Amino acid sequence: MKIQTKHIHHYHRHMSVSYPASIHQRIYSFVVIPLAVLFVVFFVLSRLGAKNLPLQPMVTWGYLISALSITFARLLLAYALALILAIPLALFINHSPKAERILFPLFDVIQSVPVLAFFPVVIVFFVHYNFYNGAAIFILLLTMAWSIVFSVVGGLQVIPSDIKAAAKVFGLTGIKYVDKVLLPAVVPYLITGSLLAWAGGWNIIIVAEVLHTYIPGGNAGQDLFGIGSVLVATSANNQQHAFFMAMIVLIVFIALMNFFIWQKLLKYAERFKFE
Amino acid sequence: MDPIISFKNVSKTYSGNPLPSLSDVSFDVSEGEFFCLVGPSGCGKSTVLKIIAGLEEASGGEAAKPKEVAMVFQSGALLPWLSVYENIALGLKAKSVESKKIQEECAKYIEMTGLQEFTNKYPRDLSGGQRQRVGLARALAVEPKVLLLDEPFSALDTATTEELHKDLMKIWQATKKTIVMVSHSIEEAVSLADRIMLMKAGRVEQIFQITLPYPRRELAAEFMRDVQSIRKKFFE
Repeated sequence: MKIQTKHIHHYHRHMSVSYPASIHQRIYSFVVIPLAVLFVVFFVLSRLGAKNLPLQPMVTWGYLISALSITFARLLLAYALALILAIPLALFINHSPKAERILFPLFDVIQSVPVLAFFPVVIVFFVHYNFYNGAAIFILLLTMAWSIVFSVVGGLQVIPSDIKAAAKVFGLTGIKYVDKVLLPAVVPYLITGSLLAWAGGWNIIIVAEVLHTYIPGGNAGQDLFGIGSVLVATSANNQQHAFFMAMIVLIVFIALMNFFIWQKLLKYAERFKFE
Repeated sequence: MDPIISFKNVSKTYSGNPLPSLSDVSFDVSEGEFFCLVGPSGCGKSTVLKIIAGLEEASGGEAAKPKEVAMVFQSGALLPWLSVYENIALGLKAKSVESKKIQEECAKYIEMTGLQEFTNKYPRDLSGGQRQRVGLARALAVEPKVLLLDEPFSALDTATTEELHKDLMKIWQATKKTIVMVSHSIEEAVSLADRIMLMKAGRVEQIFQITLPYPRRELAAEFMRDVQSIRKKFFE
């Protein structure tokens, strides 16, 4: 019987949803490029938008959208850095039982301390270098990294033992094992961890942009420009209409993000789940 | 001719367990033979299979086995994010075989296991029996010296199991592979195997030779006699 080659899946020609074949492609397309783009966007925005927050009498939609954009850029940058730190760390914890024994209880304790309690210390460090944005991003990075580490480690631990045995029997060891088994297997967990990271991130950044409250003797001129500091400033100055506009911009954006990004990602994650 | 697998006084103890999982296990498997392991739960049959697969090391004794083995798992152990074709090609891709060769090899085993209609489907779209076929094709595709089957049909219904038994026999006769299978069912073992090793509590109880011609008729008197002699020892 003639083999019908059209039934055979031509992997290299299959263009629709398929994940990159190698770990290098994956790192390149999901980390290096977005990171580079982010750095560029971020510094452009921070040059354009007011770095400090003057009490603008005219809070327009455009003003709010640029405030939101820069807040979003901070979150995105922190998220990308959190991924770069958290995923290898999670893989390492999973791989080494000794690391797990030492680090896990340590993380548990640190995680229960509110991250913002560390903020004053962090700010002092970054103020020294006149890099206020760094303080906010650093604190975001810590919050987001925790969520991702815990979620990914959890995902790694529930990989069925038969799958691990099959990988070994069929020669998927070392980096091939990480790339072709571990990373795909944790995609659903990475996504829920990311969702939690962003939720926590929004919480933190709204407050964290108002840096001057954490600096002894600080003034509003030290705040970071962003939707968080706009919300705080407009509410403190009793600019109710402006506050309301800022809230709408924030809520609409988060809802859009949820619809266009998180829902799609969660659906995509289904194909990686073991029964 | 030298046996392809040779266990001499093999023992296995897992750390943390006072009792050994295997004690003084000795047996040989000849090339091209269908060798079946049976016994009550915890008798060590899966441990023996894992040692042959290279998933575990023997604690004592000598376990001589070829490196080129492949295994079919009770749960299937297919990667859910890969299509049927990609799952079958997995072992070959891991060995960095060039893709043209992979296509040829996979085509051969896809045909042998009757999966032509399913190559672009995903494991979640398949029935239990079809998934086991994929697992079988995946194992055959790497052309191992020994094919290991770990209770591959335990989770399937009787009709699917019998269908797969027939297909397994056809594949065995076509490829003349050495097959080592762990089975929970004495009837299954007698209907498929040349020799059956009954294990109990980590030891070899007895090795039975089945000389009935293939295909084995399960209701025939001789078949029932062989099953009975094993059952007697099983429940002693």
